Amino acid sequence: MPDIFDAYFAQQVINGISLGLVYALVAIGFTLIFGILNVVNFAHGEIYTVGAFAGLLLIVGAAPPLLAVVLLVMAVGAAAGVGLERLAFRPIRRFSDEASLKSRAMREATLLSSLAVSIVAREVMAHVFGGEMRIIPQAALLQDVITLGPLTLTNGNLIIFGASVVMLGGLQFMLYRTRVGLSIRAVSNNVLGARHVGIDTNRTIVATFAIGSSLGAAAGILVGLYDGNIYPYMGFAPGIKAFVAMVMGGLSSIPGAVICALLLGVSESVATDFLSSGWKDLIAYGLLVVTLIFFPQGLFGHGRERV
Amino acid sequence: MMADVLLEITALSRAFGGLRAVDDVTAEIRQGELVGLIGPNGAGKTTLFNLISGFTPPSSGSVVFRGQNLAGMKPHQVSRLGMARTFQNLRIFPNMTVFDNVSVGAIGALGYGLGQGLFGGAKRAGEISARAWSALERVGLANLAGELAANLSYGKRKYLEIARALATDPVLLILDEPAAGLNDTETAELAHFIKSLHADGGTILLVEHDMGLVMSICQRVMVLASGAKIADAAPKVVQADPAVLEAYLGIDEEEDA
Amino acid sequence: MVVNVSNLSPRLRQLGLVAVLFGAIPAGLALMGGGYPFQVGITALIFVTLAVSLNLVTGTAGLLSLGHAGFFGVGAYAAALAATKLHWPFLLTLPLAGIVAAALGVIVALPTMRLISIYFAVATLGVGEMIHVSLLNWVSFTRGPMGIRSIPPIEILGLDLSGVIGGYYVAATVAALAIFAVHRLTHSYYGNALRSLREDDQCSAAMGLNPVRLKIEAFAVSCAIAGMAGAVYAHTASFISPDSFRFEESILILAMIVVGGLGSLPGAVIGAVLLIVLPEVLRGIGDFRMIAVGVFMFLSILFLPKGLLGEASAIGLARRQLGAAWRGDIGAGWK
Repeated sequence: MPDIFDAYFAQQVINGISLGLVYALVAIGFTLIFGILNVVNFAHGEIYTVGAFAGLLLIVGAAPPLLAVVLLVMAVGAAAGVGLERLAFRPIRRFSDEASLKSRAMREATLLSSLAVSIVAREVMAHVFGGEMRIIPQAALLQDVITLGPLTLTNGNLIIFGASVVMLGGLQFMLYRTRVGLSIRAVSNNVLGARHVGIDTNRTIVATFAIGSSLGAAAGILVGLYDGNIYPYMGFAPGIKAFVAMVMGGLSSIPGAVICALLLGVSESVATDFLSSGWKDLIAYGLLVVTLIFFPQGLFGHGRERV
Repeated sequence: MMADVLLEITALSRAFGGLRAVDDVTAEIRQGELVGLIGPNGAGKTTLFNLISGFTPPSSGSVVFRGQNLAGMKPHQVSRLGMARTFQNLRIFPNMTVFDNVSVGAIGALGYGLGQGLFGGAKRAGEISARAWSALERVGLANLAGELAANLSYGKRKYLEIARALATDPVLLILDEPAAGLNDTETAELAHFIKSLHADGGTILLVEHDMGLVMSICQRVMVLASGAKIADAAPKVVQADPAVLEAYLGIDEEEDA
Repeated sequence: MVVNVSNLSPRLRQLGLVAVLFGAIPAGLALMGGGYPFQVGITALIFVTLAVSLNLVTGTAGLLSLGHAGFFGVGAYAAALAATKLHWPFLLTLPLAGIVAAALGVIVALPTMRLISIYFAVATLGVGEMIHVSLLNWVSFTRGPMGIRSIPPIEILGLDLSGVIGGYYVAATVAALAIFAVHRLTHSYYGNALRSLREDDQCSAAMGLNPVRLKIEAFAVSCAIAGMAGAVYAHTASFISPDSFRFEESILILAMIVVGGLGSLPGAVIGAVLLIVLPEVLRGIGDFRMIAVGVFMFLSILFLPKGLLGEASAIGLARRQLGAAWRGDIGAGWK
């Protein structure tokens, strides 16, 4: 019996890592945007949904290879992110003078406007695509079984793992080895300073939205094909989980967010051994509350200024 | 004459990482004094100020105010003991009226609880209102009571902040760089006003960058340089102190001469 | 023809409000054909109560709460369970709902109020979801997704208020009491203390106010009112299920006070009525309710940063600081 349990346990850990990597991809978008604007982008979960639907339409319409689907979905996600920035973030930012780019008023207004846009986006998708789940062509699903000794995986596990590692690596390269990455890091460190040395903050912010949203959209289609479910409200739960990962990671630390996302994914997956699946969501919120109480700066955060 | 001592700072230090922002400062302020605290930029004036008012906990040393050790006290508890402060970078409540801004000082000192809010509390409300009006009249803003604080000019906001502090009816009033950003005429008016507060019996600690203001109105001046107190004497004595001259001339430009 | 309401004496305004709420509106609803309009009226009044309570904590004290529907749900379940299992009458379940919701609010607030403001928003979101998950999965206690049926209708001291008209009057009374209480609080010096927290809580502390205590108090009062709204909902609807207390409802309540103007009490009332009644009026177009809510919220943030009832003269100010209070006169309460 213990052997079976161990195998099952290992299986759950592997599933948890896949889940955690998905949360991580979504959390990176949150973290990048929070880092640069000090604002929570509530519409980020909808980018994930948009990615899933864009991928579905592509697969139903043209059935391109998976790599092409993911790349196109990332492009759609980037476009959606740029649109979101235009619609919900920039108009409010323009109200403020330069010094108040990170002011509390702007943060509140932006949070509310991104919330409003997310409601509209989600409900419009629900009206266009219908509230129920969509049927995905069998061939496109990432559910082929792979047996590794006692473990039963799907190719989805491996693809999510591979794709996430590639994207995380790409992000790291981009942030530390390219000009865009440099300006993103500069603006999130000090907006005014970045402006003084001639960095175009608006363009940098747009780039941040594009990058963060493309990762979120890619996560959406990968999960959609792995789970076999694509529906208008699918972005909400991963959105909140990713948000939790960001907060646990210390709000502006990308490695922190990734580690916490993995932690969250594995705990949720392993917990299904002990809890019925309905209670599983409680783990994320429980971890969130515990973190807020005992580690107010997040697990990996540095002391941030009081806001 | 220990009974006279209002504020007693003993061997107070505060380090941020390796930097000792305030280094072993010992000082006292007596009832009815008008004391200046000066020092070049980065000398640790604001840190010392935050240590005294409970915003920053000290690394070592103690602050005793009216016979009570302030260790572990929260800013609101320090305030209720009778210490009121203004802020260097003007922190008014912009979306509240001038009157309401000042009323907050009186509410903090007198208290106005949930029960009073729900079920009346007219007597306490009368006291708060009377105190707020008298503070407003003291600084000459009574005619602007209904104006939104955000609409006041820069100079008037300074007086609004002082009025809000006065509404707490403080035993010790600490002003943090009140002359910053004011022109010469406005600074002179401010000097006159601070002197009049002192003449009415107030004990005032004036933290300033502007040496001229401090030298012209204070009875005693403390000088801080690199976190340490290097002088504590009458203005004339301090002005002639070579250590002070060196600290100022060595680090700062001539503007404060 | 146009009466300038702000020129009327406070007493007269209160009388006018009571006359409209208890006379004119029910009369109008009766003329529209009774049953269904009254049900919409009850829903609107419940959300007026919720919006008014959220306005105290988010509009006046400046703490963004994203889990208000959770406390509404806790109140509703407390009342429903006490009424069905213990056979308590409405006069007991109403305060019970308020107390349970407030107690939970205090438990949530104690550790989170010391944190920076965004964390409070996150924590309330988390707690709202935890409440929803618990209602859904704690089947032995809450009956899970099946919900609680046959909650007894309202009867007060032998007076049968089981019909929609009776329900309307109960909901109107609770809403009026909530408006009265929040009005008292926000128009007293207590309100000034809360507003100062919204503006700069460190500065308020320097003036002798205890920010943590004030925030917890305001949040507890707000949760208590939301819980009582839940009791009214449970008894008038006679059936409740976890679906009515999701994140979306929290956002709906938030949208009401954003549309009406953060910090404005009349704004909260009008925002709530607008977002409940308008979708009913526009039902012919289809179920676009949440889209309308989102669009309304977005447009009001963009074009009316102070909401419908903000001060028109202060546009520049509004753009610098979103949540300004709606004030007719200069100071608080008594002068």
